[in-house]
Amino acid sequence: MGVRHESIICPGCGCLCDDLDVTVEGDRIVEVTNVCLWGVSRFFHAKKFHPKKERHRLLTPRVRHQGRWEMVSYDAALAEAAQVMSRARRPLIYGLTNSGSFAQEAALKLARTLRARLEPADLAFKAPYYRSIQQHGLDWAPLEVIRDEADAVLFWGANPIHSAPRHVVRYAAFARGRFTERGIEDRQVAAVDIYQTELARFCPLFIKINPGQELDLVLGAAAILAGEPPPDPVVRGVRRLAQFLANASCGVIFCGRGVSYGPALELFDRLARLVGFLNREKRFFLFPLSGDFNSSGLYHLLLNEVGGAGAPDFGAGELATHSLPVNFREVDAVLVAGADLLWFLPEEQVGDLKRRRVPIVVLSPFANRTTGQAAVILPTALAGIETVEVAYRMDGLPLVLKQLVPSALPPDHQALTDLHRLIGAQD
Amino acid sequence: MAAVEDLLEFLPGADCRQCGASCAEFARLLLARELTPEDCPVLHEPDYAGFIEALHELLGPLAAAAGMRIDPEKCNGCGICVAMCEFHLGNCAAARLGKGPRPQDQVVFRVVNGTVVVVRQELCTRLVQAAEKCSKCAQYCPTEAIELF
Repeated sequence: MGVRHESIICPGCGCLCDDLDVTVEGDRIVEVTNVCLWGVSRFFHAKKFHPKKERHRLLTPRVRHQGRWEMVSYDAALAEAAQVMSRARRPLIYGLTNSGSFAQEAALKLARTLRARLEPADLAFKAPYYRSIQQHGLDWAPLEVIRDEADAVLFWGANPIHSAPRHVVRYAAFARGRFTERGIEDRQVAAVDIYQTELARFCPLFIKINPGQELDLVLGAAAILAGEPPPDPVVRGVRRLAQFLANASCGVIFCGRGVSYGPALELFDRLARLVGFLNREKRFFLFPLSGDFNSSGLYHLLLNEVGGAGAPDFGAGELATHSLPVNFREVDAVLVAGADLLWFLPEEQVGDLKRRRVPIVVLSPFANRTTGQAAVILPTALAGIETVEVAYRMDGLPLVLKQLVPSALPPDHQALTDLHRLIGAQD
Repeated sequence: MAAVEDLLEFLPGADCRQCGASCAEFARLLLARELTPEDCPVLHEPDYAGFIEALHELLGPLAAAAGMRIDPEKCNGCGICVAMCEFHLGNCAAARLGKGPRPQDQVVFRVVNGTVVVVRQELCTRLVQAAEKCSKCAQYCPTEAIELF
């Protein structure tokens, strides 16, 4: 019989569910209850949504020499990584949205020393949101308040069933709260997306739009709410959407990563303006729905340390914070932690990185597309399972993730701190 | 689907309470799977030979008839079914709030290792109270992983 740990926090997605019961036998996790498939992929080293497909765990540091892998010691891999990064003229530190806060702090220190640019993996999605906050104010509430009070929930370009599976159950649609005692029967739930998603199963109002119609839809709904006719072109469903927003007494708009595939900056600007207008009469909130478990933590850190929620660039003399994704053609060395860079990049950019032989240093617990092309691989422990970490829930609540099983591998933050020390010593 | 009346035909009907309940109550507990036909001492007498088997026959298909089938390939462990279950609504405070049930909670199903598993099917409202219309778990399942029959 194993040891049961109750009320464990899941480092799966931005929900950071805090009701998991984990049974550990020896050094092995054998059972996790109340966990979705997203969380399972981290607890049982499986592919996302494919629990039977095991992910290859990295155990030994490796360095690529003349196209061949060599297994080396941790110190040797660290020395090679330090050499690669300190030799670069335009180094980039990428990812970190799936790393704990300790690792993010260490990465920011490293970026300062290297005079590098630090690029959050979801910059194209989150930076426009923070830009809209700066212009139109913050319309925010903790998830528990949303669960208790929001009677209208709109998902915009978001599919929580894939990005944060328990979000709808714990906070958004089905949970019963103080003023939403009947759960989904006390709420209106709607979704706007470019294709039919699983949300259609329980969203009576599902507005399917064509790509490029999102700005007109917001503009039209805002006009109708202001008592004016919607401007041309009128998008199908705009009146129903306006009616939905008008009927709410307290509501929330959850924007998903789908927003970043269109004109995100303008869309967030218009949505924030719409939410500001709605807030004159009722309470309405605008929320980005993070899939990565500590995306909020990274932006909190950046806001505190560099004063802007974007990609800080320490290499341009004066500190510059960018809202637009980096041009990878300018980059000559990349350190990736808490993300799979080559999975997200378009094929032509991946090809460009390969052609120019841009060295990639990867800190990762698992093998992925990026580790396949890396110059240096530093295997690390799983944050929140094999090592203690801090993560911020999608509404900004910091939570401590416990260590459940021991690991011989160093945590991300230790590897980054060691690298920082080594590079500092070289300077 | 067998009802209490059907089961009563194969019970002694003497309300002797040797099992601790009346025959009608015993039948209800049989339906809820809290007791088995063997728990009735009278049915072991030679006069009632074959009655235990008959009750098993009635109850056996019953579990399947009011059952549910969960496709583990489709289920993503979101737990909507756990939150929407009518039985949990009245008996599991955690599930009512959208949280996962605590280990000690008596529940119909819970999410284990990313997939919903039936823990105590006899608690399902469809089975106990003849509320056959309840199909909320399947109705709201976004991946159509639950099939009720």
